[in-house]
Amino acid sequence: MRPAGWLGLVVLALAVAPLALPPFFLQLLTEIAIVGLFATAFNLLMGFGGMVSFGHAAYFALGAYAPALLVKRAGVPLLLALPAAPVVAGAGALLFGFFIVRLSHTYFAMLSLAFAQIVFTVIFKWKALTGGDDGLLDVWPPPLLKSPAAYYYFTLAVVGVSVLALRAIVDSPFGYALRSVRENPRRARFIGIDVRRHQLVAFVISGAFSGLAGGLFAFYNGSVFPDFAYFTKSFEPLVVALLGGVQSFFGPLAGAFGFKILEWLVSRQWPVYWPLFLGTIVIVVIVLLPYGFVGLVGGRPWRTRPTTRG
Amino acid sequence: MSGLSVGMLLFLVSVGMSLIFGVTRIVNLAHGSFYMVGAYLMVTLVEVLPDRPWAFWLALLLAPLGVAALGGVIEIGLLRLIYRRDPLMQLILTFGLILVIGTLVLLAWGPDNKSVSRPEALAGSVRVFGQPFPSYYLLVLGLAPLVAVALWLVFYRTRFGMLIRAATVDREMLGALGVNVSALYTQVFMFGSWLAGFGGALAAPTVAVALGMDSDVLTTAFVVVVIGGLGSFAGSFISALLVGLLQSFGILIFPAISIVLLFAIMAVVLIVRPWGLLGRPEE
Repeated sequence: MRPAGWLGLVVLALAVAPLALPPFFLQLLTEIAIVGLFATAFNLLMGFGGMVSFGHAAYFALGAYAPALLVKRAGVPLLLALPAAPVVAGAGALLFGFFIVRLSHTYFAMLSLAFAQIVFTVIFKWKALTGGDDGLLDVWPPPLLKSPAAYYYFTLAVVGVSVLALRAIVDSPFGYALRSVRENPRRARFIGIDVRRHQLVAFVISGAFSGLAGGLFAFYNGSVFPDFAYFTKSFEPLVVALLGGVQSFFGPLAGAFGFKILEWLVSRQWPVYWPLFLGTIVIVVIVLLPYGFVGLVGGRPWRTRPTTRG
Repeated sequence: MSGLSVGMLLFLVSVGMSLIFGVTRIVNLAHGSFYMVGAYLMVTLVEVLPDRPWAFWLALLLAPLGVAALGGVIEIGLLRLIYRRDPLMQLILTFGLILVIGTLVLLAWGPDNKSVSRPEALAGSVRVFGQPFPSYYLLVLGLAPLVAVALWLVFYRTRFGMLIRAATVDREMLGALGVNVSALYTQVFMFGSWLAGFGGALAAPTVAVALGMDSDVLTTAFVVVVIGGLGSFAGSFISALLVGLLQSFGILIFPAISIVLLFAIMAVVLIVRPWGLLGRPEE
């Protein structure tokens, strides 16, 4: 079957899922869709831009807190509050990204981590606004969307449109320019591509969609906590993208599916062992499967790092 | 004063991290975990050893050696397989190690906080400038500079140190000259782990030995190493003292933003001098 055929099949299966599955699994699927969006947005940077951020939790958290604060402190309804998620996260990504894209490789990763820790600390300490350690509770969607099936469809629609938008970006001339920046920044500059501007635009887009994932998660979870910005959260999209395979656009979505199912299976039995399990998987994947699980099925080998510095 | 001793402990941890980066080019995110294992080993050793005055000192000697052994196993078993890979993959692998070591520590020692009692001779406090000051901190203040001096001697007066310095400048050339670089990597990694374990063991009587201490010390050591310059020995020393003092005074003067201040300084350093105050730009 052609890829389009597979895609149609998956969409159909997701559409009829509420008829067959109990609410618990719908919630699991909702979570998978949200993590999938987060990882896909992250992978725009890692897979297509060759930039690995260690601080994407910052944009996820900004996107979770912005609409939660609007609903909580200003009484704005969900549908009007949710767009604040990508806007605020995108603004944060623009501010931080302006500095971050000036660095490369390891230093890029470290500066993004530093900014994320600043966001975490501000959220953690600014009790008057964010509730600090206690987080913000009771951030539920309106009654119409409150049932697991309704929120599932809502999430699926938002995630679906976002993924299509990201796909269009990847396939656009901008997307191809971004790939050339990944492969060889200096040659890209020679043919007239403004490398930093392309990197910054990709960073902002990635941050904005990560924020949207954060916003969706806030209303799914019913509460937001400073943990959303903690550095362990930043590794979630990284691990998911890595599991799925960073060289393919849909890899992170597949990775999110595998990751969440595995998490559910393991934590149901032995909650304490989950980090051990996750850590072991990460190590095994890195040592043995450099292209992720999708790479096993067949994906083109792809250099993770430009071999020439010049 | 306590800021100085915090700085000294930070120095032990961050210089190990910096050393490992300088030679192997791996940013070891599991370094905080090594520190935590050092502290937990100290807990167990003090419990297990007979209740004699020398037991504490023997434990202080043995715990870091245990951590060095752990480091050796990890280097030979895992890191050796991925030196040629993307540095970011190496970073992610060491992150995986944080999760694994964290869970293993939880399983081995349980979720409750532990404490190590200070040795009798140093249990009291002394007056420094009219302020009471725990005498154990004097040990920290005394030992850490001693280690710093010893490290300096190792780096600049021994063959091992010469090889380490050579490796930070040009590893391939060192290998071409007939030095067994692979063995050197293992030794350096074990030495760096030993330093982290020593920091943890030395810190154990001053803090609650708890599960979160790996990420706490990691983030701070990370800031220290980045500000001082990855791979720079003197840079780690200066910036560890700076960060230790900043943390102690920051909490007194403006508690709410002391950590933000720390990361803000790190961000500024990364933007202005990505290679740190005393580091070298990447070739």
